Amino acid sequence: MSPGRDVAVRLEGVGKVFPGNVRALADVNLEVAEGEFLVVLGLSGSGKSTLLRCINRLLDPTSGRIWIFGSEITAAQGAELRRMRRQVAMIFQQFNLVRRHTVLTNVLSGTLGRAGLLPSLFLRFPAAERERALAALERVGIAERAGARADALSGGQQQRVAIARALMQEPRVILADEPVASLDPALRHSVMRHVEGLNREEGLTVICSLHDIDLVKQYATRVVALRQGRLVWEGAPGDLDRDTFHDIYGTDAEPASNTTI
Amino acid sequence: MPRGDELSAPRTHWAKNVARLKALTVDAILLTTAGIMVEFLLMAFSGVRGPTGMLLTAEEILDRIHYPWLIMSGVILAFLWNLFYGWIGASPGRALVRGVGEREAALPWSHTLRGWFTVLFIELTFFTGWLITEVDLPTFLTKFSKASDIVRGLFHPSATVLHQGILLLVQTVFLAFMATAFAIPVAFALSFLAARNLTRGSALTRAVYTLTRTGMNFTRAVEPLVWALIFISWVGIGPFAGVLALWVHSVAALTKLYSEQIESIDPGPVEAITATGASTLQVIRYGVVPQVIPPFLSFTIYRWDINVRMSTIIGFVGGGGIGYILKPRVDLGEWGEVGTLVLLIAITVWLMDIVSARIREKIV
Ligand SMILES: Nc1ncnc2c1ncn2[C@@H]1O[C@H](COP(=O)(O)OP(=O)(O)OP(=O)(O)O)[C@@H](O)[C@H]1O
Ligand SMILES: [Mg+2]
Repeated sequence: MSPGRDVAVRLEGVGKVFPGNVRALADVNLEVAEGEFLVVLGLSGSGKSTLLRCINRLLDPTSGRIWIFGSEITAAQGAELRRMRRQVAMIFQQFNLVRRHTVLTNVLSGTLGRAGLLPSLFLRFPAAERERALAALERVGIAERAGARADALSGGQQQRVAIARALMQEPRVILADEPVASLDPALRHSVMRHVEGLNREEGLTVICSLHDIDLVKQYATRVVALRQGRLVWEGAPGDLDRDTFHDIYGTDAEPASNTTI
Repeated sequence: MPRGDELSAPRTHWAKNVARLKALTVDAILLTTAGIMVEFLLMAFSGVRGPTGMLLTAEEILDRIHYPWLIMSGVILAFLWNLFYGWIGASPGRALVRGVGEREAALPWSHTLRGWFTVLFIELTFFTGWLITEVDLPTFLTKFSKASDIVRGLFHPSATVLHQGILLLVQTVFLAFMATAFAIPVAFALSFLAARNLTRGSALTRAVYTLTRTGMNFTRAVEPLVWALIFISWVGIGPFAGVLALWVHSVAALTKLYSEQIESIDPGPVEAITATGASTLQVIRYGVVPQVIPPFLSFTIYRWDINVRMSTIIGFVGGGGIGYILKPRVDLGEWGEVGTLVLLIAITVWLMDIVSARIREKIV
């Protein structure tokens, strides 16, 4: 049963029941190979966010087991859990920057998992890390805003800062929960291209939930779909046709080009 | 590791019984209290005289009320009402604890027994209160002349205490400041233990939460004047006892405000920092602290403002500040000097109020 070396993330019978008997995930089995760009589709409330948050244990699954590169994260606790989380960076729909901190400090906070505790509590980071943070900002194209307060930036810029923060973590896996859903359509590609860059150039494994069918076709290497907490479909982005679309989203829905579904 | 599923059935059953018991207790207390007030008023208006031949005072009546009988009938009535709520409408306790059905909620108050009971209860409380607090309107309306020289004194302040008054006023403001300053670090640390969203982790942290909350609620329930009495016997009469009294009260009040602020933060940054593999302290430093600093500052300044108010009277019991010379002037009837001191206090409190409001506006 030991997973092969090229399996980045492996879920076995994962389920999540929230208090009040809300079943958000049921018996999810999934293997994500290293270097994949996996897109998770599904209606609102189908469990996409819950699935992503179980992978890095922001939420504790109520059943099943999850492995990251062969180590079981569902069995890890304390320092061991934090060490495993460092391999898995996360990007959020609402960016989740520390709004009152500078852009640079936000990017540096990606290094917290390996930073010295005391200096980090005073927002002090080694010079080498600061240089790497500036380089990461350079890469996403906003190095000149390094000293600005995070909430002074536009949404698209904030999400790029969040990507730089994820980059600083030196992860092997990126979880992205609807990373472009609160951005103008025009900005979506600019953010998605950075995520794609991490996937193509750094070979990072990406697991990303998306709503926009055009984006799925353009960036995904594989697609899975959730419905009421269950995996109901799996295939290549090219296989996404009208019928599978109805299977995933219900018969009322219509796939419309360039629209959010 | 499935949790929740199996437990939920007995748990809801259990919760229902607890709710029933709560409703019954509330009703029993309400009905018993109503019974006590009825007997009180009956005795007061029946003209019963005591052994001395005088009409009974409120306290004497309270001593003669048949409590055991009233409690028993209160409990029985509560039982019946909770049993037959289907016919006579929900009891007040049931309505408070479990709510009422849609059809019943739509009825105007005069169509429900509960409504009539509530109105009766309020009237009873009012008339009983009138007697117990010895309300005496005729005296209030006809005997103003005695108090008029006090009012005249207040409007003719005397300059003799001005110098000492101003000195003590400075002490008052510093007293409030020191109490607030000492309270900040303690309340800051405690507030993280008293925030529900940070203490969900384990049974131990939940116990710490409950303990901190309970302790702080108790501390806050005791007025600073009472704390002053305690600290005066500890460190002696003087401003330091006042500082300690206001400090204890401020710690409790600020802990509550701070922790409520922590509970209402955006969980997003907390998630983001946790996901980097940061430790709990780092998550608090990066995910929580930046979000709560501005409201904390605002609460703290407001607290200083309140402490200035309180420190003006904490001297009445010996806690230092301007109240310390105000009390003897009142006792001696030196109304001109009282007038000066009251004016000084009013001006200070008013200025503090404006300054603190301005600063708080700028922060938030
Ligand atoms: N903290 C929580 N407590 C209780 N129920 C929750 C909680 N978080 C999510 N749920 C429930 O779990 C189910 C799945 O939610 P989830 O957020 O994973 O869906 P989603 O696919 O991400 O939806 P969206 O597209 O709207 O983000 C929903 O029914 C939701 O109401
Ligand atoms: Mg979601």
